[in-house]
Amino acid sequence: MQQTAQNSSEQQGVAQAASEYLTFTLGSESYGIDILKVQEIRGYDCVTRIANTPPFIKGVINLRGVIVPIVDLRIKFNVGEATYHEFTVVIIINVLGKVVGIVVDGVSDVVALPRESIKPAPELGASLDTRYITGLGTLNDQMLILVDIEKLIGSDELQIVDSAADNSQSEVVNQ
Amino acid sequence: MTTAGGEQSGVDLKRFNEVFFEECAENLAQMEQILISLGDREPDQEQMNAIFRAAHSIKGGAGIFGFDDMTVVTHVMESLLDRLRNHEIVFAPGMIDLFLEAGDAIAMQLAGHRDGKPVHQEAIDQVRARLQQTIDGDTTQAPASPVSQTQTQAPPEGGLPTSYRLAFTPEPEIFMRRVRMESIIAELADLAEAGTFRCEARLAELPDFAGFDPECCITRWEFALVSRATRDQLADVFMFVADEDQLRIEEHPAERRSQVQDPPSEPALPVEGRRAYDRNETAPGAFGRRGGEAESTFRVNVTKVDQLVNQVGELLITQAMLSQVAGGLDPILHQSLQRGLAQLERNTRDLQASVMSIRLVPISIVFNRFPRLVREIAAKLGKQVELKTSGDSTELDRGLIEKISDPLTHLVRNALDHGLESPEKRTATGKNPVGTLQLSASQVGGRIVIDVIDDGAGLPREKILAKATENGITCSETMSDEEVWQLIFAPGFSTASEITDLSGRGVGMDVVLKNVQAIGGRVQIASEVGKGVRVTISLPLTLAILDGLSVAVGGEKFIVPLNVVIESLQPKAEQLKTVNGREVVQVRGEYLPILKLHSIFNLETEVTEPCRGILVLVEADGERGAVMVDALLDEQQVVVKSIETNYRRVEGSAGATILGDGRVALILDLPELFSMHRQL
Repeated sequence: MQQTAQNSSEQQGVAQAASEYLTFTLGSESYGIDILKVQEIRGYDCVTRIANTPPFIKGVINLRGVIVPIVDLRIKFNVGEATYHEFTVVIIINVLGKVVGIVVDGVSDVVALPRESIKPAPELGASLDTRYITGLGTLNDQMLILVDIEKLIGSDELQIVDSAADNSQSEVVNQ
Repeated sequence: MTTAGGEQSGVDLKRFNEVFFEECAENLAQMEQILISLGDREPDQEQMNAIFRAAHSIKGGAGIFGFDDMTVVTHVMESLLDRLRNHEIVFAPGMIDLFLEAGDAIAMQLAGHRDGKPVHQEAIDQVRARLQQTIDGDTTQAPASPVSQTQTQAPPEGGLPTSYRLAFTPEPEIFMRRVRMESIIAELADLAEAGTFRCEARLAELPDFAGFDPECCITRWEFALVSRATRDQLADVFMFVADEDQLRIEEHPAERRSQVQDPPSEPALPVEGRRAYDRNETAPGAFGRRGGEAESTFRVNVTKVDQLVNQVGELLITQAMLSQVAGGLDPILHQSLQRGLAQLERNTRDLQASVMSIRLVPISIVFNRFPRLVREIAAKLGKQVELKTSGDSTELDRGLIEKISDPLTHLVRNALDHGLESPEKRTATGKNPVGTLQLSASQVGGRIVIDVIDDGAGLPREKILAKATENGITCSETMSDEEVWQLIFAPGFSTASEITDLSGRGVGMDVVLKNVQAIGGRVQIASEVGKGVRVTISLPLTLAILDGLSVAVGGEKFIVPLNVVIESLQPKAEQLKTVNGREVVQVRGEYLPILKLHSIFNLETEVTEPCRGILVLVEADGERGAVMVDALLDEQQVVVKSIETNYRRVEGSAGATILGDGRVALILDLPELFSMHRQL
């Protein structure tokens, strides 16, 4: 069911003439995520570490009273340099009923991509696994990798969603 | 009155069902409370009315909401009560039990509708049959009654037709209460002799068009009919609809029945007889749909209250943050700012207290279950017990109420089974054969203290020690009484010589302790041989706020719940030992494992030796240990937040909180830390 729901949402996305994407950089690559999934953008500070978590889980922050986990995609996908300074950017996204912050090298722009400019992703080319890529967009002769952020956050790899929830999800997919 | 059923009204009543369920449960509880308080005495008029009112409200509500099966038992019960009230049936002590059983049957039906639990129809039919039997069995002996059985569906017994005039002036909000005039009219028409029913609607004080409110009833109704029904039966039609001052019934002497006491010329005839209970209605909630009550209380969704509590928590954090910032400023230059902040602090504290109080409910909700339990258990054990409760109005958090009722039930059962002696034994030792069990609640500082006190034999020290040794629990003869009493909290411990179905299976006290600790509480026992036992449970006022000790480990801060902390100390080198390569600390003859937080949480710190850090001695789930931290920071109240809202469960933490500086700090979950430590 989960899968069909995702499919239909993808189809909807395709059906629309153009969708807006927030573009950001990881290392030398440009990525885009659906702007509707983005809650806000803020700086990186005051992260409380959580023990026994993979290195890309930086910890949790207090976002106006809500405790939000922070994922550093640069560490997760081995791109760029995981340095933290005053210009480090955290994109707060809201997917699967959860609020999660992702650390990226920089936020570039919000662009509208017409449907026809989005090409299916080839099997190689990006640091990100193709499973999480919905397609490649072209913007001013620059390639934009479009990420299915919902799938990425919900994945086992990131371990943000509890494993119990993961199990039920994979069961559904298996069916 | 089974008129406005869900199907008929065309309005989805489902969302109102919850209200009915709650009301019904309240009514059942109230009924039970009264019945229990009677013992075997005959209820006085007021109590009888109260029971009747409860049964009647349930029946009426069930009818309105379309739970017709629930009206069956209540109906028979009501009939019986009605006859008792009119002294047509002589009260017998067995009736109390019968009513209690009927209450159980209704509760079962309620549970069936609300939670989809199975309903044993035979049990219900049985209760109903027995109630009916009681009615029938007695009516044969009782003198023929002039008052008809009110609820019979068949035409009323052969009174002569009388001409009535009814005037009904409803309050404007009547439609809000889902009253449907057409069904009332239909019901009246049924009672009337053929062709005599007349109904007239009069518009009183028609407002101008701008002030016109379609939900407001401005109609006044007048009915004229010839009926064999009694005046009471007519009044019954309006039972849920009209207050007595809104309904006027006149009997016209035109036909027979000249024995009417009130001359028809008197304009406002009070409604007599069975509606008397309405007049001295005092119990709140008895007629929950009455308009006047809306002002005093109203129901709010719990999530809204929780949201409010959360937001006030935010405010507290913000305020703490501001105070911290202002603390670094020159107090002379910023005098007015400091004053303002002090004011802000006071206001936020007040606000927090008020908001927290919304979630508070009186403990009587729990205490009220015990009279019946005590009565039943005492009867089963052949003991005589008097239950006393005090501090019923002490308030505590809703969430806590639900969780404290099981442990309390356990303690009460224990006290009855093990604590109080049999009447013979008590007489032999010169005590009153009737034992006393006291439940008391009070608020002491920021905590709620609940005492369960019995005047029984007290805890047998020798027996407990012997049993502990037998079960392999470490103990010694030299232990203080307090320490010995703590032994009964060990899992699998039971001193009952024989296992009864009440207690003695050894799953008692450790479960009590665990449940109480789970909600941040503590249990203490005091006992004196021959005098009795006092078990004291102390609980935090609320679950949303926790008393914690903030500690620092390698640049991070953690909160240790204060209820698990015993003491903290800086160990000397000679106190430190190793057992199987694991470090332990010797404190007053006891060896406690050292839990190094920095190694459990993989933190980097300069303090790696216990001598340089501080050990916080903790006890949780009967396990003791010493948590090693870099430094103790502060003792503070923290607002508990869930990490799981946006992230997964974090091992070793029972949640998180936000500190005054805006940073997140994890709250330690000691039992989990112990198991993490073992796996290291």
